[in-house]
Amino acid sequence: MSIPNPGRIEPVLWDDWHPVAELAALRHGRRLDTGLLGRPLTVTLRADGAIDACSGPHALPHLDTRYGFVWACLGAPVRDIVKFAAADEPDRIPVTGGSMAVAASGLRAVENFLDLGHLGYVHQGYLGEEPHTDIKPYTVGPREGGGIRATGCRVYQPRPSPADTSGYEVDYIYEVHRPYIVVLYKANPVDRTRMDLIALLLQPVSEESCVAHSFMSYPPHDVNEKSVRGFQQLIFGQDRPILENQLPKRLPLDAKAEISVRADSSSAHYRRWLSQLGVRFGAIPQAPA
Amino acid sequence: MNRWFAVARGTEVPRRHVGHYLLLGQELAVWRSDSGAINAWENRCPHRGVRLTLGSCEGEELRCRYHAWRFASVSGQCTLIPAHPGQKPASTVRVRVFAAVEHDGFIWVNLAQGESPTAPTRVAHVLDSTRSIFVDAPLYAVRETLLDGYPVDSTASRLAVWSKDAYCLSAGNPDHAALVTFLLQPVTDFQTVIHGALHTTVEETARLARLRRHNAAMGTVRDEAERRAAAATGGGATA
Ligand code: FES
Ligand SMILES: [Fe+2]
Repeated sequence: MSIPNPGRIEPVLWDDWHPVAELAALRHGRRLDTGLLGRPLTVTLRADGAIDACSGPHALPHLDTRYGFVWACLGAPVRDIVKFAAADEPDRIPVTGGSMAVAASGLRAVENFLDLGHLGYVHQGYLGEEPHTDIKPYTVGPREGGGIRATGCRVYQPRPSPADTSGYEVDYIYEVHRPYIVVLYKANPVDRTRMDLIALLLQPVSEESCVAHSFMSYPPHDVNEKSVRGFQQLIFGQDRPILENQLPKRLPLDAKAEISVRADSSSAHYRRWLSQLGVRFGAIPQAPA
Repeated sequence: MNRWFAVARGTEVPRRHVGHYLLLGQELAVWRSDSGAINAWENRCPHRGVRLTLGSCEGEELRCRYHAWRFASVSGQCTLIPAHPGQKPASTVRVRVFAAVEHDGFIWVNLAQGESPTAPTRVAHVLDSTRSIFVDAPLYAVRETLLDGYPVDSTASRLAVWSKDAYCLSAGNPDHAALVTFLLQPVTDFQTVIHGALHTTVEETARLARLRRHNAAMGTVRDEAERRAAAATGGGATA
């Protein structure tokens, strides 16, 4: 039994796993109505603790949990749910950062997450600050295992995490694992030999709307779950009005649709990679040459 | 289309404010530079598409909210990309700008690109203006309704409306000077704003009463235009 795919959504998305609900947000016996890839989706937590989901009359055969979220696949899964190797280190503390609905393509949200140039403005006083606005060259290339990887990103941050109130230059590594899954690694403020992991997991509800879920994993130093969550929601709350005011709402993949500069290198790579994968949902594909 | 439309009263666009307007479905960011220049720009940053109405006016430049690129008044040319402050932005990095002027107390915009538009129609000296009203009907329906008569003032219950051009209609007794001019702004293909300019003065004590009469008359025009538009689209009468 598979879910009908009348929109012929590309297999790279249809046959993949997507986050659809935060486990902590589910209540016994209550339905959570949401959507995935243009289809309606209802997630229910049964009294016995089992979770099921349906899209209209169709029960979802592929449902699982990971990182504090319920994941669903509408088609035939060809691979496992995304996995972040660092999150497996046994002493790490996992924290979910909640879920936020956004009236924009999830691909725009991924691009915003990768974006270095806005940190000093949209997140002024937290993740960046004038006059430290210049973006030094960084490296972007393919990621082993698929996707893209940006390394050597150095950003001056006045308050890089809730545990840290003094500014310094922070090293960032970004990885895009799947079209709608992106993760950031940055040096832990207490133990700078280890990396904090912050993943943004986008649920593509429609082409022009998404739910942004976030998952974090920290080395065991002074992690206050509540303040981490609050910080994450504060930061994403600063991005949301930007995302909802980008025109067009879908991400244009044509390199000429929007002007890019060197600082946008990760965005340019991301768009090119999406084109190569044949991602159309949430995107404006390149016009045929 | 090489045509000028009034999109706002000048007083709606004070210095250091970036206003959001719609003309023929085109979103506009309208702002006044400190030196007084009126700008009507496509409401979209050429970098990552963020609405420029989220940005801020910094005197002679508008600064985008997302990455703080700066764009010069009048030309729309990018002057600074803070991610690369040492590099001069290429001349191709610019916002799409439209011709805009302030005349007779109104901001006029012309969406024509590539040709130098002629000046907008001049309206007789404007001494007061009515409240602008929004009509859920296409411009032609509003225009036809107005051409059929404008019900104002007890002394002349149905004043004739004569056309100066399609989007600028004056009403009054033909033998007298115009009393009121209507500037029609096609917001989209099916929505219109009527701006009213008054050409005579009255005692301050009578001013509010006059504005009230115009508001009522324009309301009548709105209802009739909406009724006609609904009938034309087969939608029938709406409440
Ligand atoms: S979107 Fe306007 S500066 Fe980047
Ligand atoms: Fe951000």
